[in-house]
Amino acid sequence: MDLLIDTLQQLFSPLTAAFAIAAIGLNVHFGLTGLLNMGHAGFMLIGAYGYAIATIQGAPIWLAVIISLAGAGLFALLLGWPTLKLRGDYLAIVTIAAAEMVRLVGRTQALEPWTGASTGITGKEYKEPFEATSPFPERLIPVGPFELHGTASSSWWLTLVSWSVVALLIVLYWLLQRSPWGRVLRGIREDEDAVRSLGKNVYSFKMQALVLGGMIGALGGVSYALGAQVHPDSMGRPTTFLIWTLLLLGGAASVFGPALGSMLFLATQFLVKGVLDVFVPDDIVSAPQAETISLAFVGITLMLLIIFRPQGILGKRRELAING
Amino acid sequence: MTNALAWARAHSMALAGVLAVLFLVWLAVAPSTRDLFPQTLANGITFGLLLALASVGLSLVYGTTGLSNFAHGEQVTLGMVLTFVFHTMLFRDMLPSSMSDLSLIISGTLAVLIAASTGWIQDWGLWGRLRARGIGVVQQMIVSIGLSLAMLNIIQYFIGGERLRLDRKIRIPYDLGIIGIKPQAAASIIISLIALGAVAYFLLKTRLGRATRAVSDNPALASASGIAVNHIVRLSWVFATGLAALGGILLALYEEGFAFNSGGRILLLMFAAVTLGGLGQAFGALAGALVIGIVSEVSTLFMPPDLRYATALGILILVLLIRPQGILGRAERVG
Repeated sequence: MDLLIDTLQQLFSPLTAAFAIAAIGLNVHFGLTGLLNMGHAGFMLIGAYGYAIATIQGAPIWLAVIISLAGAGLFALLLGWPTLKLRGDYLAIVTIAAAEMVRLVGRTQALEPWTGASTGITGKEYKEPFEATSPFPERLIPVGPFELHGTASSSWWLTLVSWSVVALLIVLYWLLQRSPWGRVLRGIREDEDAVRSLGKNVYSFKMQALVLGGMIGALGGVSYALGAQVHPDSMGRPTTFLIWTLLLLGGAASVFGPALGSMLFLATQFLVKGVLDVFVPDDIVSAPQAETISLAFVGITLMLLIIFRPQGILGKRRELAING
Repeated sequence: MTNALAWARAHSMALAGVLAVLFLVWLAVAPSTRDLFPQTLANGITFGLLLALASVGLSLVYGTTGLSNFAHGEQVTLGMVLTFVFHTMLFRDMLPSSMSDLSLIISGTLAVLIAASTGWIQDWGLWGRLRARGIGVVQQMIVSIGLSLAMLNIIQYFIGGERLRLDRKIRIPYDLGIIGIKPQAAASIIISLIALGAVAYFLLKTRLGRATRAVSDNPALASASGIAVNHIVRLSWVFATGLAALGGILLALYEEGFAFNSGGRILLLMFAAVTLGGLGQAFGALAGALVIGIVSEVSTLFMPPDLRYATALGILILVLLIRPQGILGRAERVG
């Protein structure tokens, strides 16, 4: 029974919101424009580092968020400059390599005073300013069967704020994809040469999409960091692949797909881990092994989705840019 | 600015080569790095050769099918794991302890054969079927990403997170004056040179090799001239997974240990090697791997050592900027 409640709680947890935000960013890249960004976790990590380090240096929240957005935007410009004129799989290899570089630079001992090297930055070093804005009391508050702290870490306050951000971004995506600008991006996804022959600067449009999606990814990173900690190894390649799975499950190029995919998949993953933990004895499957099984489950889901239902739950098959 | 960039692009290889050689010479004579330089260069060349062996297969599969196989890193790990299992659990106890090297050789050979058969099985059960259903290469690439994540975690489920050693013997390095070289590294170099030579011979001199290159060049044309494309692709998969396993085993010996993610960690370096050399060019992978190997080791002279993979990936991005077709690739319009 506890497991069921915990699983339901996972549906609307701040962590799920953080991944939903990141998946909306990837949806701008892949769903809307057809860019194969395989380094989305790198954008999240830059956002998380940017926010945490700026806050520790004494920046107010709004400035810290702007710094992390600017960091991700700059990263997108650097990545896009050499690759957006090349074939799609070059972008995939360069983004995955660049995200790995961000992680390795974050881990390096040389930057230990700022990034905490491989131990990362613990939550209490940077969460205080955000938690100070909370209007809720500082204690555990039960709502129905769910119980969360009012202000600290993964709190009701963070839940409220991060899901509001998700809602705003969904509205933003909806407005963008039906705007003239979004139609050009969809045109690039369907047939780049046709759009070019209409006199549009394809390179520039792709760059704008890469920067915008990257910034949304950074927001996902900030929201993740506020609920957990900043740790370079928690945002490696598996995280990028997880975001792809969420997006493809919900449906790429759909408005609600990223959020729906995050809720369904993260709750299911939690349930799988929980069932293994509760019902299978520890000497058959230990806790770290349950973790590896749940990640193998991500991989297998990704394979099956892309082979049998690449449009996911909400997507339309003809809107899929996957073989463009 | 545009003119300068165009000029740099036209003469990029000569320019990069001259700069790289000048920089290496400077490192070789500068007082602060002079003493360590020969050893790091030797390490870099060794690592580059082993990386080449592991990444030739990536290039073969890309050449014949257009697939960037993200699960190739786990194929490298598979060689290490199988060798470890056979060596420590089977043959070492069957043979007298003085013959543990023989056990290692038998285990390694068996591991390469089994790994090569996984290539056959994969192409028969998965990739061949996806191709037959007309599933595009990008979709296949995402399938390989899922497969990589699944294999990585299944391997971790069985062997755990610790670092394991293939060979527990303490071996004394040979002293060659300015550099020292460990016996297992020397053996790895010799084996990888032989294997790379065999691949080169196969591709250049045999009928099947010529057919493979023809498929890489233009599958439709190769098919029209009577080459059984699907057989060649199947063969590429067998070679790719077998060579990946061999490269993995030699790497585990050279680095004196491996873990569940050893192959995954060098996946991006393999991609870098293959992309640097020119996607799909088998000999390009060798050239690219040597560059990546030397860059990642020599960079430790002036950068923090834990950033050496990051430096190599940085070089990849830089090369794509000025020469997207890679070192040995042909220039063509790609977008």
